[in-house]
Amino acid sequence: MRALEDLNPITAAVYFLAVSGIAMFSMNPVLLVISLAGAVLFFLVRNGSRSAASHLWMFGLFLLLFLVNPLFSHNGATVLFVLNDNPVTLEATVYGAAASVMVVSVLYWFRSFTQIMTSDKLLYLFGSLSPKLALVMSMGLRYVPLFSRQASKIGQAQTALGLYKDDNLVDRFRGGVRIFSVLVTWALENGIVTADSMAARGFGCGRRSRFSIFRFTSADFLVLTVTLLLFASAAVSLGSGALLFTYYPSIKPPDPTPLALSGCISYGLLALLPSILEAEEKIRWTCLKLKI
Amino acid sequence: MTIRSEKLRTVLRFAIPFVLIPVLAVLGETVFDEKKHLFVSLAVAVLSLILFYTGFEQKKIGTRRMVIVAVMVALSGAGRFIPLFKPVAAITVITAIWLGGEAGFLVGSLSALLFNFYFGQGPWTPFQMLAWGIIGLVAGFLAEPLKKSRIALVVYGVGAGIAYSFIMDVWTVLGHYYTFNLDLYFAALATAVPYTVTYAVSNAFFLWLMAKPFGEKLARVKIKYGV
Repeated sequence: MRALEDLNPITAAVYFLAVSGIAMFSMNPVLLVISLAGAVLFFLVRNGSRSAASHLWMFGLFLLLFLVNPLFSHNGATVLFVLNDNPVTLEATVYGAAASVMVVSVLYWFRSFTQIMTSDKLLYLFGSLSPKLALVMSMGLRYVPLFSRQASKIGQAQTALGLYKDDNLVDRFRGGVRIFSVLVTWALENGIVTADSMAARGFGCGRRSRFSIFRFTSADFLVLTVTLLLFASAAVSLGSGALLFTYYPSIKPPDPTPLALSGCISYGLLALLPSILEAEEKIRWTCLKLKI
Repeated sequence: MTIRSEKLRTVLRFAIPFVLIPVLAVLGETVFDEKKHLFVSLAVAVLSLILFYTGFEQKKIGTRRMVIVAVMVALSGAGRFIPLFKPVAAITVITAIWLGGEAGFLVGSLSALLFNFYFGQGPWTPFQMLAWGIIGLVAGFLAEPLKKSRIALVVYGVGAGIAYSFIMDVWTVLGHYYTFNLDLYFAALATAVPYTVTYAVSNAFFLWLMAKPFGEKLARVKIKYGV
């Protein structure tokens, strides 16, 4: 089995939509904690103990969101204390905690999403929606390194002409503006040349085809099926209201019916799926290395 | 994978605005409880983007025009690396004035989508795309007065900065608290004031600075090559 990163972009995109969709759709604290645990675990499995500062930042965000809700929302029956004539309620505090767990877990899912769904994969997905749009996007991405290289060339040419730009701040700024102006003119002209060259090679005649290096393998099929099945199971429990956790006016957790339990278990498996795939691959690599 | 059938694409184009968005809005009001506002608004944002893009796909657009749009996307996206002051909205507006609202929408929304790979993708991406896209689209409608007066352009830039902040704070409230509550919205707007000021100032600054030289270059390309 391959890690999520090496699977087809469709599989990965469906997975992220499913897992973060359930987290965004439900306010059940059990599901939210599962989502947070799964998201953080997956991020740690992929990144190790790197970027410790960003975890602190996330924790700070969590605290901030957690504190804001009870201060602004005064719904709920159980008053904890009164602050500036405004009641702070238990329900609003718990709701704030759940909402901040949700936000932080979704943010962690999206951090992994950003790492895994690189721009080439997104272009592959967009290409099926609109080939023309995907072309504009990939050209836009390609132009960034091209323009920065051209900008440094223009800068060198300006220096060779005697137009230095390192005397003082104003001078630097004016030099920067000059380079940018030249760059824009060049970029537009260059774009026209590119367009003419494309047209000369028959761009726009007939349907566009695309090249992609992504294949849809049996592993993709397997992961996609498992994702969809677990998602469906969790969505059914959510949709039937078996997992409805009432916050206002007073807290009332749902009954632990089989349907609710099955929803939690399938969402738990869904949240753990990428970490399992990743760990399995790592273990296999270690075994292979040991054999050598 | 492409939706090859012309018929299906046409059906989608009409089904999305006239069926899906009203159904979602009504469902959001009745079936889902208020916690699902986030979901509904996200769905509406994504659908309106899809609607716009399918329209773009169907149109016969010249190759030159398409490439120029890509150039502008790259320029505005590269501008997002400037710390604090971002010229994205300014370049979007300039493109919209000279090449039309549709090009403006594309430049705004695509520079949000593409360069969020560097700045972080998230559930806010569709909102950001829509916000910058709409700034471009509206600038396209107001192209004539904006072309004539530099003052009007700066005023539009300030307005666009404030509008961007207003749209993104809808996301702040929905994304963080699920329900839409005016108190929370105003609190979010108040905490965002420094950002709002940065948006407005950078829009005004870049529009004041770039509108004329940039406009001349675009107008030149337009006349010379008939984009």
